[in-house]
Amino acid sequence: MNLDYPLAHLMGGVILLCAFSMLSQRRLAAMITLYQVQALTLSAAAFWQGFAQGAGDLYLTGLITLVIKGILLPMGMRQIVQRFNMVRAVETTMPVGFSMILGVGLIGIAVLVVLPTTVSAVSLTREDLAISLSVVLLGLLVMTLRRNAIAQVIGFLSTENGLVLAATGMPGMPFVAELSVALLVLLAFLVIGVFLFRIREHFDTLDLVGIEEIERRGR
Amino acid sequence: MNLCLPAVFLPLLAAPAIGVFGTRAQGAVVNLALNVIVFGFTIGVLFEPGSGLIHADDLGMIFGILTSFVGMTTALSNLSFVWSGNEVLSLRRWRVYHAMCQVVLGSTLLGLYADNIGLLWVAVEGATIAATVGVSLSRTASALEAAWKYFILGGVGIALALFGTMLVYLAAQPALGPGLAAMSFTTLGAHVTKLDGSLLTLAFVFLLFGYGTKAALVPLHGWLPDAYAEGPIPLTTALSTLMLNVALIAILRFRHLMQANFAGGGGALQPGVFLLTLGLASLLLTAFSLSRRRDARRFFGFSSIEHSGIAVFAFGIGGPAAIFGGLLHMLVHTLIKSALFQALMRAAALRGSAAPGNYGFSHLRGMIHSNKYAGWLLGGCVFALTGLPPSGLFASEFIIISQTIQRDPYMSLPLGLGLVLCAVAIIRHVGPLVFGHAPPHTKHQKAGFGINLAGLQLALGFGIAFAMPWFLLNALSSVAAALQ
Repeated sequence: MNLDYPLAHLMGGVILLCAFSMLSQRRLAAMITLYQVQALTLSAAAFWQGFAQGAGDLYLTGLITLVIKGILLPMGMRQIVQRFNMVRAVETTMPVGFSMILGVGLIGIAVLVVLPTTVSAVSLTREDLAISLSVVLLGLLVMTLRRNAIAQVIGFLSTENGLVLAATGMPGMPFVAELSVALLVLLAFLVIGVFLFRIREHFDTLDLVGIEEIERRGR
Repeated sequence: MNLCLPAVFLPLLAAPAIGVFGTRAQGAVVNLALNVIVFGFTIGVLFEPGSGLIHADDLGMIFGILTSFVGMTTALSNLSFVWSGNEVLSLRRWRVYHAMCQVVLGSTLLGLYADNIGLLWVAVEGATIAATVGVSLSRTASALEAAWKYFILGGVGIALALFGTMLVYLAAQPALGPGLAAMSFTTLGAHVTKLDGSLLTLAFVFLLFGYGTKAALVPLHGWLPDAYAEGPIPLTTALSTLMLNVALIAILRFRHLMQANFAGGGGALQPGVFLLTLGLASLLLTAFSLSRRRDARRFFGFSSIEHSGIAVFAFGIGGPAAIFGGLLHMLVHTLIKSALFQALMRAAALRGSAAPGNYGFSHLRGMIHSNKYAGWLLGGCVFALTGLPPSGLFASEFIIISQTIQRDPYMSLPLGLGLVLCAVAIIRHVGPLVFGHAPPHTKHQKAGFGINLAGLQLALGFGIAFAMPWFLLNALSSVAAALQ
């Protein structure tokens, strides 16, 4: 029996489920865990596509996803959450139930947009694309619904997972590994940005210019 | 030999070294030297356009030279900016700042020379990251907020553009086979009728919103005024004007694919409507928000949104003449705008400090009392931005309006209204800025070296529109005809 189809779909489904569950989470730790599960599934999906398409650079994509997005980024974000003590600090702009209804609507839109326009493509690609567009849209929804900076970043990270999922599903697309590395650079800057932002908020009374003056003289 | 490669990779490879070694002054000098060398390379590209992944077509050549020229003049005025000591940054941040100037230059050139939709995307992303780091450099609360806004909006735009890029690949892959051919503008353009039209339409929507975010089209413009108002002015304002061009050219190239596919019966929708809507929205929103701005950098940031909107509007009208008008508009606007920002920087330095927050119109008024030349130059640049004759923008706006009347007469009404309102909002500032009462204790001072270069750039902006050299005219018309 050919496993290409069901396995790729299973993993796409898990990724979508993680993206959807993020909408209902009130705690940052839970969102980070969901993101981690999503990234790990994504790396498995990339490995599987690499095996099924016989494409070597997809293994590389899978490896990068596993190490950086599956392990390092969640660790870094947990550090930030602990350090700034924002375990329960997720504010949502609308009731959870309503946001989930919006989420279902977005998935519907993604399916309705993608399936009719891609009639000529291979069916695996079509459905993969519908799933990844849903993940992208859900990530954007999370970004708009959360006020907290790190929750917004998690939404963006989830969006980005959707993009990599789409890229791995494209038959024979070149530069997938390179593109995912380029995305990772962006993500790294985002997480560092949050860190700086939080520092600034916490030590707002402290004059940073003074510190730099001292630092410069020290050199 | 492919001279595009050194032009792109010299600044990108030099950036890490600049970011680690050297003093503040050394960084500024090296920055200028690299810009001069890159300018030489981009001129050389005219004779050695190369081939393959990174090569220059006519459009890339013209805008490549423009980019490196503006980069060079910006680097020169950067020297006086750095030596004036207005911006208080630690040594480490000065190094990062100069490194980011180089990254922006290299990625902008990469975006212009890339013959691959994936590479184009990487270039835009790199330039975004570098510019964001630049915006956040002063670390004040408002700078960090602007950088965060830029990052989030720019990140979303970049994500959408990547999705669109993959959809273009998917549309081309059945016809061109898997591999690089399905991602190259050259091959995509050659086989455009074989692409899947409906997928291409879907892709275009994502690309338009993705690159539209970078080109600051309404409703995706929110980051631009904030980002322009913060950070060291040579990087976040003067160089950023160049990045708008990359995004606009990307939109133009994808628009061409879709239009050609539509014309060849490939099943794509006509791209005009999308572009006209976004272009008009940008123009009209700017027309109504310009008059309320008090900070000059924010004000001229909004004016960049206006000019992006006009260019996209011209692309939406379509046809060789309108595209020519749009490209001319981008050329002249880049020259004038960066001359303006350089003049603005000098003006603020004459009034004490060129750091962010010193650019209020009330603070800068009566510039002629501080320095005659700087005052006239500033006034000339601001006036040129209105698009009234004899500004170079008048020529391009005239072409665009006459084409609009010819091809889509109803659209000319809102276009004309927007242009007039913007011109009125801008021209109101010329008088007070140049001749108004200066703040008390204003002394007459020297303007500093190199200010002539900004004047030259402004003159070039006028000359290029009314007395365009024949080779540029030929190249620009053939580009416009090929991309109609």
